[in-house]
Amino acid sequence: MSSALPWIIKYRPRTIEDVVNQEDAKNAFLNWLENWGKPGQKKAVLLHGPAGCGKTSLVEAVARSKGYQLFELNASDFRRKSDIENIAKIAAQTSGLTSKRKIILLDEVDGINARADEGGIEAIIELINVSKNPIVMTANNPYSKNLLPLRQNVLEIPMKRLSETHVVTALKKICGAEKIECSDEALREIAKRSEGDLRSAINDLQAIAETYGKVTLDLVKSLATYRDRQYAPYEALQRLFNAKYVFQAKDALTSTDLDYDELFLWLNEHIPTYYEDPEEVARAYEALSRADVYYGRIISRGQWDLLSYMYDMMGPGVAFARKVYKYRFKPFKAPSRKKQLSETKRSREVREALAEHLATRLLTSKATVKAEVIPYLQVIFKYNPRYAARIAKGYSLSEEHINWLAGSKSLEVIGYLKKGEKAREKGRGG
Amino acid sequence: MSEIELLWTEKYRPRTLDEVVNHSEIVARLKKFVSDKNMPHMLFAGPPGTGKTTMAHCLAHDLYGDNYRQYILELNASDESGIGVIRGKVKEFARTRVVGNVPFKIILLDEADNMTADAQQALRRLMELYTASTRFILIANYPSKIIEPIQSRTAVFRFTPLKREDVVERLKYICSNEKVKCHEDALNTIFELSEGDMRRAINILQASAALGEATVENVYKVVGLAHPREVREMIQLALSGNFAEARNKLRTLIITYGLSGVDVVKQIHKEIFSSDIKIPDEIKIVIADLVGEIQFRLVEGADDEIQLNALLARLALIGKKFKPG
Repeated sequence: MSSALPWIIKYRPRTIEDVVNQEDAKNAFLNWLENWGKPGQKKAVLLHGPAGCGKTSLVEAVARSKGYQLFELNASDFRRKSDIENIAKIAAQTSGLTSKRKIILLDEVDGINARADEGGIEAIIELINVSKNPIVMTANNPYSKNLLPLRQNVLEIPMKRLSETHVVTALKKICGAEKIECSDEALREIAKRSEGDLRSAINDLQAIAETYGKVTLDLVKSLATYRDRQYAPYEALQRLFNAKYVFQAKDALTSTDLDYDELFLWLNEHIPTYYEDPEEVARAYEALSRADVYYGRIISRGQWDLLSYMYDMMGPGVAFARKVYKYRFKPFKAPSRKKQLSETKRSREVREALAEHLATRLLTSKATVKAEVIPYLQVIFKYNPRYAARIAKGYSLSEEHINWLAGSKSLEVIGYLKKGEKAREKGRGG
Repeated sequence: MSEIELLWTEKYRPRTLDEVVNHSEIVARLKKFVSDKNMPHMLFAGPPGTGKTTMAHCLAHDLYGDNYRQYILELNASDESGIGVIRGKVKEFARTRVVGNVPFKIILLDEADNMTADAQQALRRLMELYTASTRFILIANYPSKIIEPIQSRTAVFRFTPLKREDVVERLKYICSNEKVKCHEDALNTIFELSEGDMRRAINILQASAALGEATVENVYKVVGLAHPREVREMIQLALSGNFAEARNKLRTLIITYGLSGVDVVKQIHKEIFSSDIKIPDEIKIVIADLVGEIQFRLVEGADDEIQLNALLARLALIGKKFKPG
């Protein structure tokens, strides 16, 4: 038996048909590639799904069968801005008559750390804008904070976690090709432990087969380990809400790479997605509210030993708000709060600037100005434009501030303001 | 008619200790510091709008004269980005000495209770380090959130909510100065709505006057306009069992109107007892207790929306027990 090649490479899908159980993703991807460059089409896609579900394989298989030359880069190759600029040179070339068309593949973009890889994401967005070739990116977790600015510039194509049956079928094929004796129950056990990650399943299979020349259930049980898996947020939520036992609910919390703030954001968004009964909703929010109090104390007083209580409340506390256990599959979409925040960004920035402007004059904080001063200013600006103009003058408010405060009355306020200036000029002249 | 107008809270702010009309005991003690040209570190604690910051400025004015602002460093804990920034500013400020006969400069740290315990520890070090050349005046709404080592190093002054006669007198004074027609009952209404917060009282007065004159009707109109109707609608949605819509309203309040969680909770509390929402009295009390608990958690917790959602979810549950009108 030859072990020259890792099986995961040796048995990579060659054709598009070899990529199993991803029909929707395949169609979406092929359709995008065919229409690439047409108006209204996104210039880049983001394939996302759990590890080992075939993201990279799909791209490779498509490139091979459709005759594209593939420029493949891993997260480690494009960490810095300068790396990406080098790629951009290739990407900006159009394919000649004789040369092959190109696909630029940026693998594992969620591995880019926004802070460490200064300017990385911005450089990718720039790359997308200038590229004359299709760009494909892959990620395990598309909801990663770092990818937020990127997501608006790409077509997102989700890929599913493979089912146990599909993993078993793929393993069987390899056993046949390698002429190894593999029991069905052993393959099923490998598949189960892989949790849909075909790559890790094939690695386990190869490790056992090459050492013992056969694959039995006992060998699998003694050798193959459960991996610490990172789940996409929606999967983690699925596991959390549907946990049968306390430990499962706790595990679900730590099985994603969401940070604490994001976990709170997701749970806050989705308690009413999962629960319909008002009593369950109230109980779940009560638990989350308690968790948030622990979290607040942790942050403000640095009492990190409270962390386990926070976990107890946000995991099991939320999961056991149910009256009866019943598995419910729910669509957990990315929380909308971030989106709403970005949509109202400009308006909030104006308010922030205005608050800062007034805070120094009124000897108080921005927060107090926002809560206690601005609401009354708005009343004055909307109901008494002439008087408002005098206040605007008193505080040298900009037109943007006035627009924001006065809304539909802003032209009137500005009108009075200008009239006042003219009158003064006239007074000076005469 | 002059063409420039200021907010009356700025226009009618006392500039010297003599102009401060209430808190006579505090004023007396501060005047002693002025005549001694010496003072300890101080902590001014009390609810918003009771004159803490104003008092500190008056004190500084009396110590250093009209150009007092060059001898004080004004910091706001909730606007500064961290203790590192504060340390840098204090160091820079403490380096130069005061010309004149007051041997120290003043560092005014507003909203000190918004600092984390760690930052307060660092602050304590700063206070010790620069004690020869500076005095700190810390200002806080909740003195219990100031760590004990700082409390024990400061003279604590407690500011209580202003009394009705103090507020009404001041409003009357402003009305006559501004030649605005102010009805006595309107001024009383303003006091009720301001809860002893002078800043709010004066803001309501100025906005009411901008509508014409200060009548009870205009006062209510101003307060209604300034405090968006969304709060009431949100409560009604929640009580009718429509949690999802109530939650959307809450987001609007926080994101679009920029209200803080505590603002929202306080308005909910007010709405519950207003006659516009029909809730049986015994349930009002249950809700009030709940609202209070949530306000407590808001101060302790990290995310306002989570706490308020918890409240709305409970309201949705409570609403099932009666038919809200």
